[in-house]
Amino acid sequence: MSTITRNLVPLILLLAFPAVLRAQELKLPPGVEKLASKAKETVEVNMDGPMLHWASKFLSAEDPEERKAAKLVANLKGIYVRSYEFSDEGAYTAADVEAVRAQFRSPEWSRVVGVRSEHDGDNVDVFFKLENEKMAGIVIISAEAKELTFVNIIGPLEVDQLADLGGEFGIPKLKTKPQSSKPLAKADKGEQK
Amino acid sequence: MTETNKNPNLIEDALRNALHREDAPEGFVLQVLARAEQQNSAEQDAQSASWLSMISQPLVRWAALAAVSISLVIGGVHYRNLQRQRAEGEAAKQQLMLALRIAGSKLQLAKEKVNEINTSRPESQPQNRSPRSRS
Repeated sequence: MSTITRNLVPLILLLAFPAVLRAQELKLPPGVEKLASKAKETVEVNMDGPMLHWASKFLSAEDPEERKAAKLVANLKGIYVRSYEFSDEGAYTAADVEAVRAQFRSPEWSRVVGVRSEHDGDNVDVFFKLENEKMAGIVIISAEAKELTFVNIIGPLEVDQLADLGGEFGIPKLKTKPQSSKPLAKADKGEQK
Repeated sequence: MTETNKNPNLIEDALRNALHREDAPEGFVLQVLARAEQQNSAEQDAQSASWLSMISQPLVRWAALAAVSISLVIGGVHYRNLQRQRAEGEAAKQQLMLALRIAGSKLQLAKEKVNEINTSRPESQPQNRSPRSRS
């Protein structure tokens, strides 16, 4: 094989498979994408780096919420959200969700939260991607009775920024609830596959 | 050799006579000012006349009209583009805020579930409780 051919092969591979370049992105199986037709409400947000930076230019520095959002997205490379809200329960199967979860069972991803609730059927998984001991991405998969949500945030996120993400934007910060009389859910934290 | 060369005093006298101070005739200043003003106004008249003559030419009139129209059209298009960009930017911002709200709410849900489990465990499974890192 000539030197030129040897040099061209990786280039052709990269051009032919752009998915290789976007390996961090959440890929929804066709079955999940089809859920949009069943959903009462669908939210689909696809914002890559340039789009995020452009959108953040319109965030007001005077609004505290928007100021925090601007700080949060400053170094992000992408935000992808799919949220389906259904009228009835059972609109999606466990296999649909499992197919998405399976994408993040790789060494580079750590499942830091995995909640399986027998009480209300709410299942939440949070995966972190660490690069050089810094967070490089987060994936949230929330499967509720009538709602299915996938969130993929790509880019460096500081822990305090993450806390802001959970506590701001109109959602009050979590307060510890009084002790419940019975266990509600099973949780796996720190699990890594 | 002339006579003045012979006698230097004669040169001095001749110079003194030639250069002796004489008062300006009466009304001289007024005459000078009037002349200057007349010249200025004549120049201005000539200039305005030349502008008027240029504008009065049909070709120049049409060119000026076309220039103004083109400027207005370009300005209008530019303004419209700015408005459209601003509207698109606002829509993108709303999308971004919505995405962050959804992400925040789902993180809250995860934290809530974990907290529920942590608060309920001491009663049900105190022996299994172990310190774990919080997200």
